[in-house]
Amino acid sequence: MLFAPDIPASRIPTTLSGQFFRHSPRYGAGLILLATYQYSQYWFDTHLSRAIDAATHGDPRTAERLGGALVAVAVGALVIRVLSRVAVFNGGRIAEYELRRALLYQLQRLGPSFYRRMATGDIMSRATNDLGQVRLLLGFGVLNSINTVFALVSSLAVTLRISPPLTAASLSTLPFLLVAMWAFSRAMFTRQRQNQDAIGDMSGAVQSSIAGVRIVRSFALEEEEMRRFAITNAEYLEKTLSLARLRGLMFPVMQAITAVGTIIVLWYGGNLMLHDRISAGNFLAFFRALSRLTWPLISLGFLTSMLQRGRASFARLAEVFEAEPDITDGPLAAPEVVQGKLSVRGLSFSHGDHPVLDDVHFEVQPGTLVAIVGRTGSGKSTLAALLPRLQPTPRGTVFLDGRDVCDLPLPFVRSSIGYAQQVAFLFSTTVGRNIGYCLTDPDGPDAMNAIHSAARDAQIAEEIERLPDGYDTVVGERGVQLSGGQKQRVALGRALLAEPRVLVLDDPLSAVDARTERAILDVIERQRARRSVVLITHRVAAAARCDTVFVLDHGRIVEHGTHEELVARGGVYASFAEEQRVESELEALGDGGTRVVEAASA
Amino acid sequence: MTAPASSGSSASVRKATRTEQALRAFHEETSLGTAYDSRLARQLWPFMRPHQAMLWVSVGLGLVMAVLSLVRPYLMRVTIDRGALAKDPRILFEGGAAFAIVILLEQVLNFVQVYAVQISGARAMTDLRSHVFAFLQDRRLAFFDRQPVGRLVTRVTNDVDAILELFASGALNSIVDLVKLIGIVVVMVSLDWRLSLIGFAAAPLVGVMVALVRRRSRDAFRAIRAKTAQMNANMNEQVSGMAVIQAFCREDAAANELDVINAEYRDANMKSIKYEALQDAAIEMVTAVCLASIVVSLGYRPVSFGTVVAFNAYLFMFFEPISALAQRYTLLQSAMAGAERVFGLLALDEVDAPERADEAASSTGSGSAFSFEHVTFEYKPGVPVLSDVTFSVRPGERIAIVGPTGAGKTTLSSLLLRLYDVTQGTVRVGGEDVLRLQRGELRRRFAVVPQDVFLFPGTVASNIAVGNAVPDRSRVEEALRRMDALDLFRRRPGGLDAKVQERGENFSAGERQLIAFARALYRDAPIIVLDEATSSVDSDTEARIQHALDELMKGRTCLVIAHRLSTIRAADRILCFQRGHLVEQGTHQELLRQGGLYAKLHRLHFARQEAAAEA
Repeated sequence: MLFAPDIPASRIPTTLSGQFFRHSPRYGAGLILLATYQYSQYWFDTHLSRAIDAATHGDPRTAERLGGALVAVAVGALVIRVLSRVAVFNGGRIAEYELRRALLYQLQRLGPSFYRRMATGDIMSRATNDLGQVRLLLGFGVLNSINTVFALVSSLAVTLRISPPLTAASLSTLPFLLVAMWAFSRAMFTRQRQNQDAIGDMSGAVQSSIAGVRIVRSFALEEEEMRRFAITNAEYLEKTLSLARLRGLMFPVMQAITAVGTIIVLWYGGNLMLHDRISAGNFLAFFRALSRLTWPLISLGFLTSMLQRGRASFARLAEVFEAEPDITDGPLAAPEVVQGKLSVRGLSFSHGDHPVLDDVHFEVQPGTLVAIVGRTGSGKSTLAALLPRLQPTPRGTVFLDGRDVCDLPLPFVRSSIGYAQQVAFLFSTTVGRNIGYCLTDPDGPDAMNAIHSAARDAQIAEEIERLPDGYDTVVGERGVQLSGGQKQRVALGRALLAEPRVLVLDDPLSAVDARTERAILDVIERQRARRSVVLITHRVAAAARCDTVFVLDHGRIVEHGTHEELVARGGVYASFAEEQRVESELEALGDGGTRVVEAASA
Repeated sequence: MTAPASSGSSASVRKATRTEQALRAFHEETSLGTAYDSRLARQLWPFMRPHQAMLWVSVGLGLVMAVLSLVRPYLMRVTIDRGALAKDPRILFEGGAAFAIVILLEQVLNFVQVYAVQISGARAMTDLRSHVFAFLQDRRLAFFDRQPVGRLVTRVTNDVDAILELFASGALNSIVDLVKLIGIVVVMVSLDWRLSLIGFAAAPLVGVMVALVRRRSRDAFRAIRAKTAQMNANMNEQVSGMAVIQAFCREDAAANELDVINAEYRDANMKSIKYEALQDAAIEMVTAVCLASIVVSLGYRPVSFGTVVAFNAYLFMFFEPISALAQRYTLLQSAMAGAERVFGLLALDEVDAPERADEAASSTGSGSAFSFEHVTFEYKPGVPVLSDVTFSVRPGERIAIVGPTGAGKTTLSSLLLRLYDVTQGTVRVGGEDVLRLQRGELRRRFAVVPQDVFLFPGTVASNIAVGNAVPDRSRVEEALRRMDALDLFRRRPGGLDAKVQERGENFSAGERQLIAFARALYRDAPIIVLDEATSSVDSDTEARIQHALDELMKGRTCLVIAHRLSTIRAADRILCFQRGHLVEQGTHQELLRQGGLYAKLHRLHFARQEAAAEA
C-alpha cells in the first residue's frame, strides 16, 4: 500500500492508538488535502462575491475574468475533494481489513478454553459489527473531524468578513443542531440493536418450528406455532417502524433547525442589504458559506457518539486480541525423523471442576494398532484430543518418541499425530477439496490421485462417484447434504491423506454400517505398516482387530491386554463384548437396508 | 497493492479447473439478476394491496413536496428582488415568513411521506412473512427431509428483508424525483430560458459522466454485497471448524483463503469510495461551474439578483437525485433476487395431509380405535418399509410393538397420524379412513411421545402445555403430580418456569422424557402413541419413568414401540415386526410358547434385562 506497506498479521497494531498511528501518514495527507479544499472553497466564495458585484456594477470584463478563475478552481476542488476522500476513507477500510486479518490470526492461535468462553455468534458479532464501528471511526470519523475544523475556519473567514453580527445570528442554531444530532445518533444505535435482536428472535421462532416439525405435526400445533410466530413478527414490525420513525425524523429535524438559520440570514441579511450594509454578491457568498458549513456541523454530532462506540468496539475486540493462547510452541527444534512411538504417562485432566481423565498410562509402539475402548462419557474423546495437543495437554504426560509434546513445535506435533474427530466437520467446498484438505496444491497433478486413493481407503469413493458432480460436488448447508456416515468417511479420508506417523481416530465408525466398518478396519490394519494407529471406539468388533486394547472407564484405564485376554478376564470389556454380540444378532434379525432409510427420513 | 496469493492461485493461473468452475457456479447464488421482473411484481402486489392506502399517501405527498421544493427558490427570488433590493421591508418580512412556512411544511411532509411508505412496506412484508411461515406449517413432513433448516429460515428473514429494503431506502422515491426534475426544467425555462440553457448545457456532460461512473459504482456496490456475505460465511465456518484447521495445521492456508475475500472486499469498498466521491464532487463542481457561468452572463445581460439566487438553488436540486441512482438500482436488484427466492419456495407443492375423501375407503363404523388394512409404505420407491400390514386395535387396548431395528416400527406411528401417506392400503382411525379426516381433527385424537424428545424454546410449563398460549398451571402441576415428578421439577432452579435452553440441553435425558410424558398427559387424548427411549437413565429416574408410563396408559388406547420388558408384559397384545412384515401377534405367554421371532428376541435381549432387574 502507498502509505502503510503490508505487514504480517502478527505485527498489525490492534489498539485504537496503534491503528491511528499506523495510518497517520495517510491522515496527514488527508489533512493537507482537506485544508486545500476548504481554502479553495473560501477562495471561490469570496471571488464569486466579487464577480457578482462586478457583473451588477457594469464591469462584465472583470466578471468574465473572475468567472474563468472560478471554473478553474471548481475543477481543481473536484480533484482535491476526491483525493481527500480516497486518502482518509481508505484508511478506515484498510484498518478494517488489517484488523480482520489480525483477528483471524489470533483466533487461530486460541485453544478450546477460549472457544468454550466465547460462542461463535459472539466472535462473529465482533468480526462484523465491531469492526464496522472501528472502520467508521478510522475513516468517516477522522475525515469529518478534520473537515469540520477547516470548514469552520474557511466558512467563518467568509462570513466574518462580510458581517460578524450576521455570522453570530446565523450560528445561533448551532448548539441545537449538535445536541439533536448527538441524541439521534445514540438513539439510532440503540434501536438498530433492538431491531437486530427482534430479527434474531424471529429467526429463532422459525428455526425451532422447523427443527421440531415432527412434534408440531403430531400434536397439531400449527395454529399455536403461527400465533408464536405472529408475536415475533409483530415485534419485528414494531422495531422496524420504530427505527424508521427515528430515521425519518432525523433528516427533517436537521433540516428544520438549519432552516431557522437560513431564515435568520434571509431576514437579517435582507435587512442589511436593505440598508446597503452588504452587497448582493456578499449576500450570496454568505449563503454559500453557510450552507457549506451545514454538513460538517451535523457530522460533529455524529462524531461524539461514533467515538464512544468505536472505543467500546475496540474494548470488545481486545477481549479476543488480549486472550492468552493456552497451547503454544515448545522450545525444541523439530526432529528429523519420527518413529511413531507414543507414550502417555500419568495423564490427568479436567474441564473446570469436572475431572475427565485420572492418571492415564499407556504406550503405543511404532507400527502397532491400539484401541481405547469406553462408554459415552468415559473421557475417550478428550484423551484423543489431548494427544495432538488440540486440548491443553499437561506438561510431562504425553511423549512422542520420548520427547514431551509440550516441548516440540506445535505444527510438528499436529502433523506427526493426525486426528479425525468424531463429529465430522466438513468445509462448504467440494468433496474433493475436503478430502485433500491438507494438500498445498489441491489442483496439482498428483493431488487427484491422492484424493481418490484416500477416498477408496475410507470406503467412500463409490458414493462420491454417484454424487451429482462427483468429487466436484459442493457439500454443506447450501450444497449437497451428506449423511452422518458419509461425512465421517470423508473426514476419515481427509485424515488418511495427511499421512501422519501416528493416527488418532476418534470413533470414526459410529455412524457407518457393519459391512463398511469391516472394510474400513481392513484398510486401517494395512496402515500398520506405515504408521501407528490409536483407535478410539466403543465398538468391540473394531477393538478386536487391534494389537492392544486399553479400557477407559470414568477417566481411568481399568483393563488392558489383547481382545482375547480381556474377554477371558470377564471384566468391563467382556460385558461390552456380550452386549454388542446380542445387539448385532438383533440387528441381523432385521433388515439393515431399511434402517438407513428410516434414519434418514425420521 | 498486491493481493496476497491464495493457496491455489498458482494453479488457477494455468487453467480454471473443474473444481474451481464448480465452486464458482456454487457461489453464483450470491450474485444478482434483473432489476425489474413484472412477474415478481405481480406476485408481490397481493401483499401490497391491503396496505396500498399508505403507499398512495406517500406518493401523493411526494408530489406535493416536489411542488413545494420548487416553490422555495421562487420565494427566495421574490423576497430578494422585491423585498431586499426594492427596499420593501414588508415584502422582505412576508417573503421570509412564507419561506419559513414552506420549509417547515416540507419537513413535516417529508417525515410523513417517508414513514408512510415504510408503514406500507413493512406491514406488507410482515404479511408476506406470515404467509411464508403459514405455508411451511402446511407442508408435509417429507418436504422438510429435503430442505435444510437454515435455508428455510433465510427465506422467512433475510430474503423478505431484501424486499423491505426497497421501501426503507427510499428507492421508490425515484418516481417523485423524476416529476421533480421535469418541474425544475419547466420553472427554470419560464424564469429565464436563456439562463437555463447554461444549466442544460451541463446536463449532457453530467449524463455522460454519471453513465460512466454509475455502472462501475453499481458493480462495486454489488461486489460489496456479495463479498460481505462470502466473507462472513467463510469466517463463520473457520471459527466453527477451528479444531479441524488446527488439527491439520492449515492455519496459514485458511488465513489466505479469508485474506483473498477480505482483500477483494476491501478493494470493492475502496472502488466504491472513489466513485462515490467522484460523483458527489462532480455534481458539486458542475453546480459551481454553472453558477460561475451565470454570473459571467449576468455582466452582459442583466437579470435580477433574486433570479441568480433561485437558479443557484434549482441547479443544485437538478443534479442532486442523480447521485442516488446507482445504489437504488442495486437495491432493486437484490429485492428482486429476494422475491425470486421467496416465491420460488411458495411455488413448491407438497401440502400436508390434504383431505382426499374421494379416494378414501368407506366408513366401517367405530368398532375399532384404529386399524391398518393391507398397508404398504415406501419412503424411497422400491424399498418397502412396511409390507401388507393388517391389524386392528380395540378401544382401550394396549398394544406393544416389538422387533429388531429397521423393522418399520416407528413408521407405523407416522402413518397413523398421517405424517406420511400410505403407498397402498388403508389406515383407519375410529373406523374412518384417515384420508377423509381433517388433519387437526385426526391428530388431536393422539398424544405422542417420540423417542428423541424435542423441547421448544420456552419454559418447562410451556413445553408441557404445548398448544396452549397460556399454560394452565393447575393442569401442568396435576400432570406432573400424577407422574410423581412434580417435586423433581420444583427442585430445579426456576421450577416450572425454568427456561429451556437451545434444544433442551440443560435437561437430562430422563428429565426430557418426563416432560414428554407430562406433555402427553396434559393433552389428555384418547390414543397414546409412545416410542420408548433406549437411552439409559439412572435408577431413580427409571422408577419415575416407569410410574409415569403406567399413569399415562391408564384407561387409554395405547400403541407402544417397546424396549422395556415391563412395558411389553403390561400390554394386552404384542405385535412382532420383522423387515416390514407383521410376523406374529399375541400375549407374552402365547408368543413365548410359539417359539418364533418374539421368543428369540426375548431370549437375546429381554432376558438380560430381566436378569439385571432381578440382580
